[in-house]
Amino acid sequence: MRKLTYIISALLLIGAQQVDAQTPKGSLLIQHATVLTVTQGTLEDTDVLVQDGLIKKIGKDLSASSKVETIDASGKYLMPGIIDAHSHLALDVVNEATAPITAEVSIADVINPFDVGIYRALAGGTTIAHGLHGSANAIGGQSITMKYRYGTRNPDDIVMKEAPRTIKFALGENPTRVHGRGKNIQPRTRMGVEAVIRNGFNEALQYKENWKNYNSSKNQKNSNAVPPVYNLRLQTLADILDGKIIIHCHSYRADEIYMLINVCRDFGVDKLVFTHVNEGFKVAPELAKYTMGASVFSDWWAYKFEVYYSTAYNAAILTENDVVTSINSDSDELIRHLYHEAAKTQRYGGLTDEQALALITINPAKQLGIDEYVGSIEEGKQADLVIFDEHPLSVYAVPQMTFVDGVKYFDINEDEDDQRLKVSPTEMVEPVYLQAEEESCMHGVELFTEGTTFTHSH
Amino acid sequence: MIKRLTILMMGICLMGIHLVHGQSDHTGHRRVTGTYAITNATITTQPGKQLSGSTIIIKDGLIQAIGKNETIPVDAKIIEGDSLFIYAGFIDMGSQAGVEKPEEAKKPENFDPSNPPNDVAGITPERSVLDYWDISDGSVGDWRKVGFTIAQLLPKGEMLPGNAALVVYGATESTNVLDESTGLYAQFETVRGVYPGTTLGLMAKYRELYKNAELKDQHAQLFASNTNGISRPEKNKSLEAFYPVINKQVPVIFEAKEELEIRRVLKLQQELGFELVITDLEEGSNLAQELLEANAQVVLSLDLPDDKAAEADLKEATEAAKSAHKRVVEAYNSSLANAGKFEKAGVKFGFSSNHVKQEDALKNLRLMISHGLSEEGALAALTTHPAQILGIDNFAGTIEKGKLANLVIATDSIFSEEAKINYVMADGYLFEYDVTKSKKGNGEAKNLTGKWNYTSETPGGTSSGEIRFSDKSGNLSGEIDVDDPNGGGTITRELENISYNGKDLSFTFSITVQGQKLTVSTKGKVDGADFNGTISIRDMGNFSLTAKKVPDLKF
Repeated sequence: MRKLTYIISALLLIGAQQVDAQTPKGSLLIQHATVLTVTQGTLEDTDVLVQDGLIKKIGKDLSASSKVETIDASGKYLMPGIIDAHSHLALDVVNEATAPITAEVSIADVINPFDVGIYRALAGGTTIAHGLHGSANAIGGQSITMKYRYGTRNPDDIVMKEAPRTIKFALGENPTRVHGRGKNIQPRTRMGVEAVIRNGFNEALQYKENWKNYNSSKNQKNSNAVPPVYNLRLQTLADILDGKIIIHCHSYRADEIYMLINVCRDFGVDKLVFTHVNEGFKVAPELAKYTMGASVFSDWWAYKFEVYYSTAYNAAILTENDVVTSINSDSDELIRHLYHEAAKTQRYGGLTDEQALALITINPAKQLGIDEYVGSIEEGKQADLVIFDEHPLSVYAVPQMTFVDGVKYFDINEDEDDQRLKVSPTEMVEPVYLQAEEESCMHGVELFTEGTTFTHSH
Repeated sequence: MIKRLTILMMGICLMGIHLVHGQSDHTGHRRVTGTYAITNATITTQPGKQLSGSTIIIKDGLIQAIGKNETIPVDAKIIEGDSLFIYAGFIDMGSQAGVEKPEEAKKPENFDPSNPPNDVAGITPERSVLDYWDISDGSVGDWRKVGFTIAQLLPKGEMLPGNAALVVYGATESTNVLDESTGLYAQFETVRGVYPGTTLGLMAKYRELYKNAELKDQHAQLFASNTNGISRPEKNKSLEAFYPVINKQVPVIFEAKEELEIRRVLKLQQELGFELVITDLEEGSNLAQELLEANAQVVLSLDLPDDKAAEADLKEATEAAKSAHKRVVEAYNSSLANAGKFEKAGVKFGFSSNHVKQEDALKNLRLMISHGLSEEGALAALTTHPAQILGIDNFAGTIEKGKLANLVIATDSIFSEEAKINYVMADGYLFEYDVTKSKKGNGEAKNLTGKWNYTSETPGGTSSGEIRFSDKSGNLSGEIDVDDPNGGGTITRELENISYNGKDLSFTFSITVQGQKLTVSTKGKVDGADFNGTISIRDMGNFSLTAKKVPDLKF
């Protein structure tokens, strides 16, 4: 049914707007819900009216035209769609691990809309995920913010067009292992990682200068200017320096976190988010002052040497220090229950409901630069919504329905056994991967890490 | 004594050769006549147009006349075509028959995998496939036997292997080249362990190469028009190979089998604006509209997936397994219906033989026809459409007076099960095939099909891997995983010359060691799920090879 709705609305839109094709947008009225707005408190027995994909009105006794689907959410909880700031789900390739800097590559090129994991994530209330390049390189590729509009075959349809550009950086063990130890090139140490990034930025400054000079002189009379060599890698780094791209940096140790803060300050870059950040609690004031926040695991640690010094109180400490904090999955499995991950901060750190929910809604939205559109239930925002049967921070909570832009993509009552969009004509049983690498930051880099003893590689 | 005997024998041998040379035709290959008459045949001059009881006269590589009452030249070799069906020679839009893969580029000293030279990274758009083509290679003959007379040759390699060319499968003495540089071939394939290593890097690198080619072209033009004070543009053969693409003189021929690959190519084309041929599509009829809008030419693969679902044993399957199976069957049927759907959507397409075995080509076409492709559409995709797409319809694609003498002559209507190709004429040269020869029996091939784990003892130590056999209507095929003799993991080699009578099994496969091709022959006996045999490599001796069949998984 959901699929049919999608197809019909897609067809209607094709007819209406051949050139500027848009993603489907829905209208609906959700009545009598306990609305967890995240930014404007909890509203008991409240209605939310959605029109053409946007939250039109929040209040009591709202009405809609008879054509609009009405959902009775009495006794249920409505919260904003969950946002995962760090995922590798639905990507055909995660790492271009062949060079220490691969800023030129773009995850948007390898989105796989057929990944049934998208549907599973929706079934866990996740509506937006930040599909990141992996952590094999000091400066990895450009990432992509996706709205999980499952049902489309076109990768572009799940790209959140309003989202600003983002890029992946990585510090510490992963890039040094892949390049230093794996290929005997820089970076081999943490110092090397810093050098790679600084060199990259410096080269980008020169590159920018070359093009500026060329562009300013080429149209002058008797100009002898010839075009410089185009370098997509340096151009991307120049865009970072110009503040057009938000850095999401894989990091663990406090010293390396503070190192990148300093590098960015030296180059005038302030769009910086740290991800994983296991030792973030040691540099919480610095993170609060100089960055757009930290995106952490709720309670993972000790899976390799650089993450021994960690604590499940990390998210709570960061939050209490005014760091914009989010909890991410970095996993196709955790992405299905990020509300449980957020709830752990109430056990470890005693965060309030609102603080805990912010970790998986408005805060990741801020880190992705999309908080003006999503992340809370406010009039005018995009209608990415989830209905839970219990309070989402309860261990008993089960998502019932998930909406993106007012279109229902998951309904527990219409959930079918087989939700695949595309089936192989020859695979009788789809392969199941049990290796953690298959869904992590280091996906696809086995080639460069042969012979290492690490078994966990986030 | 021995020495003298040898010299004597050599002398005798040379005399023998010399006798053959003692004629006006130095090679002894020259044909008696280049004039042919095929009489009283059923001729499909182009899709949908059939003449019965007609005669075709061929002279000097051209079709000279077609009709009911043509005068047969005195020097013509006459072929009685009373029960024969004649079609225009097929045109292959993408072939690698007779094309050799260039040797791997040498890595420079102090090699940095993050910044490899272009040739090491599989970027050699300046290469011409013709430099690596050998018409006397057996596979050219194999494809001619299927009815292909003209082919667009695609170079072998990785990301940008080189330029395609158009050839006719005529005599081995001729050059057979119809056109050079017919397109820049591109693939989603990268060299292991160097940049670009994945689709991510490949797309970025492609964009960068394209943009830099545009800039270099600008620079070169600037230099040519106004040398005073303009710095000399550095030569760069890879970028210069893009100039004809940038100037829209030739298309990029991009291989994209699956839907997401097709979409990725369309994305690049939309960004950069080159003329596009997408080749080897195995799906994508749902993208027909997008392809039409992009003005992309479409080449479908002649390959089809194996019908694995048909082999599944569902007797004890759960309901969930049964419904999953149903979806696999649907997906399989949908693959077979792809060509028919393209036809209905009004997309003109040709076919590519790349990645398909020649014995499957006509069989697969029949499967496509039974799943919705019209016979006319299938024939058009083999003749008129590729001729139009390649811009050679003035001399190829139909049977018309004045066109090149490329013909397929079959014993029955070409897409019927009974049809056998009796003759193929290419470039006016006639090739005859014995249609009475029956297919070699493969005994109880079913016992063999599936996976086998083998172990082999060689002086180099014990090696093991997998052998996989499959059976398509009595034709056994197979592949083997072997340790790469050049290091770095395993490689998969196709099995050749498979022979199996229910008991004795033999096959060969080839590996390349330090640039030298070695043929490995395997033979032995199959007893239930066990195989005991030997492998032999010339000049190296015999070694043992045993294998055990992996039980089939059942639901």
